[in-house]
Amino acid sequence: MAETESYPPIDPTNFDLIVVGTGLPESIIAAAASTAGKSVLHLDPNPHYGSHYSSLTLHDLTSFLNSQSPNPRINPHQSTTEASDHATAALDLITRPLYSDVEISSYDDSVSEHSRKFNLDLAGPRVLFCADLAVDLLLKSTANQYVEFKNIDSSYVCDGNGNLMNVPDSKSAVFKDKTLKYSEKNQLNSFFKLVQGHLEAVKSVGTGVDEGKVISEEDLERPFVMFLDKMKLPPKIKSIILYAIAMVDYDQDAGESCKDVLRTRDGIDRLALYHASVGRFPNALGALIYPIYGQGELPQAFCRRAAVKGCLYVLRMPVISVLLNKDSGNYKGVKLVSGQEITSDKLVMDPSFTITSSPSEALQDVSKVFDAGKVSGKLARGICITKSSLKPELPDTSSCLVIYPPRSLYPDQATSIRVLQLGSSLAVCPSGMFVFYISAVCDDALEGKKSLHAAMDSLFSVHTSGTTDSSLTDQIESTEVKPALLWSALYVQDLIEGFMGPVVMTPTPDGNLNYNDLLRATSKLFQQLYPDDELFPEIQNTDSSDKLEDDSEVDIES
Amino acid sequence: MATIGHNNLNAKLVLLGDMGAGKSSLVLRFVKGQFLEFQESTIGAAFFSQTLAVNDATVKFEIWDTAGQERYHSLAPMYYRGAAAAIIVYDITSADSFTRAKKWVQELQKQGNPNMVMALAGNKADLEEKRKVTAEEARAYADENGLFFMETSAKTAANVNDVFHEIAKRLPRAQPTQNPAGMVLVDRPAEGARAASCCS
Repeated sequence: MAETESYPPIDPTNFDLIVVGTGLPESIIAAAASTAGKSVLHLDPNPHYGSHYSSLTLHDLTSFLNSQSPNPRINPHQSTTEASDHATAALDLITRPLYSDVEISSYDDSVSEHSRKFNLDLAGPRVLFCADLAVDLLLKSTANQYVEFKNIDSSYVCDGNGNLMNVPDSKSAVFKDKTLKYSEKNQLNSFFKLVQGHLEAVKSVGTGVDEGKVISEEDLERPFVMFLDKMKLPPKIKSIILYAIAMVDYDQDAGESCKDVLRTRDGIDRLALYHASVGRFPNALGALIYPIYGQGELPQAFCRRAAVKGCLYVLRMPVISVLLNKDSGNYKGVKLVSGQEITSDKLVMDPSFTITSSPSEALQDVSKVFDAGKVSGKLARGICITKSSLKPELPDTSSCLVIYPPRSLYPDQATSIRVLQLGSSLAVCPSGMFVFYISAVCDDALEGKKSLHAAMDSLFSVHTSGTTDSSLTDQIESTEVKPALLWSALYVQDLIEGFMGPVVMTPTPDGNLNYNDLLRATSKLFQQLYPDDELFPEIQNTDSSDKLEDDSEVDIES
Repeated sequence: MATIGHNNLNAKLVLLGDMGAGKSSLVLRFVKGQFLEFQESTIGAAFFSQTLAVNDATVKFEIWDTAGQERYHSLAPMYYRGAAAAIIVYDITSADSFTRAKKWVQELQKQGNPNMVMALAGNKADLEEKRKVTAEEARAYADENGLFFMETSAKTAANVNDVFHEIAKRLPRAQPTQNPAGMVLVDRPAEGARAASCCS
């Protein structure tokens, strides 16, 4: 219910763990800790679940972005809080802005009229690979029963001439592909075969390995791009493998100046993930899936899982300070906006919080956590709404992924730009509309926005005069009618990594297409929090109260 | 969402109402035929499923409990998604719980699907001597708001099966699904599907 006349008192007032923020990492930690039998209080200052991982209505997204970006705003809790007793010190918490350069444009009023019919992801574009860690965790935690998924219908990669090529990601796709030459098909197939052989050989180590098939240790340590060159793969195929299957961010042909070189070993791992994802589920045709109602369903599913295991949920409850023991400097509890103090052994917080001033020396241990949560990079994100699909000629394609590899849109495009189109069958927008998520890793807002605009100019037409950069649009000679842009939100998000300390800080959404890196970081945090507990141990079938599927017919015929 | 196949209907049913109104007790009575005098706050049950036979079809209810998330008004939107039916439960011995039930009805009208079948259940009907909410008042409210009304007792089982049965009868039979169902991930190796996969 929306109304909050006053902040309710929370009972009990002591927990094993307090978690602040309901983003995906926090929700997984809350669910795993509850499953391990800990008493957990899960708070969120927002009126919705998901924090920076939410899916929101159009209006809520707009106001969330604005409220979490730097603008001259008076902090309602600026006065220094005092703990109720003298042995306790209070560190005041403030919201740190994670978003900047927020630009929201509306070209058609019909979009905001349907605000409530949108479920817009804050951290898009994002998908799950059928064999990735998110799927594994959903299954292990049994949170899978709360979420339904659909396939992403197809993937495309831009070839540098503005043409979108289908990504042939499996043998049958290679066979059916109409854009590849016969020789190219052979090259791609033999490369897939080589990788397959390598993976099988690695799996069967010590059981009479066919050594000939294993990629040499030397090659595994070298850059993946050099290995692809060694295999004599043409640029087009290389680009598909690097950017549309291994989903690399930085230009791998940039040599020494490339910021993040993918080694062959990791490249092969990413191909293996993609390979294992195709056909993992009998009813999922491709490698990629997306949750109906948006990515924000995932934190909700883990929160529900946590609640079922006894975790207490309180939304709309800001924490105003972290309480410490004055003598030891140890973490003690939190003070809520209601004035109530709640104690716990451990505290996990989402990275949108920081403390106001540097406290006394005794308290440095805890304040160190907030120092550690420094911005490690930036990410430009865009959300665009249209009334037509990128592929109107393919009526079956309502969702698709488009990759613009580095340098494919403009000469100094340093990183991949990824675009995800979703249709109303995923319940993320009104029927007849489409939502596009765009993202690119960047050094600064200027570069990031340039990437977003380049992709948008290539994808959409805008019915306003004189705003498009003509030097960019000239490159693209497409006769297709582009979808008209109705609404867009562009913003730059800070990247902050998780940190383990007396207070645990969870990571912000990263720039990847899947959750793998985030979930690795999250399970590491959980392991450090509770070294003796497993993150969702395998469930025995005896737990029948969990899901009663006995289907006993209760026949009360009328 | 109610989905159809060969006269079999799958329907998600959600329970709403104040803490202590007896939501879990109603479900336990319906699904397991049990009643516990001192039922703990809901912990441990994600959802139950139960199949009912009505005249022309079998209805498989997938019953979602609040898992306690209603305690501080923190129910997730996920809870309402695709629900074909809802039972709003109050305690006839508590006027407050009836007031809160009306708020839950408003919330459902805002969040839920417009074709949802809604039932208002005045629970703890066995505690007649402590009654604070008259059946007339509740029935009048239910009529005004398009709900059907019954007084129930999870303790004596009075009207419990009847509420679910009435919902089963009222579920729209040939309703086109608003959002085509997706897939629920089930950990079952995709045998034979490998043939179509990459690198093979």
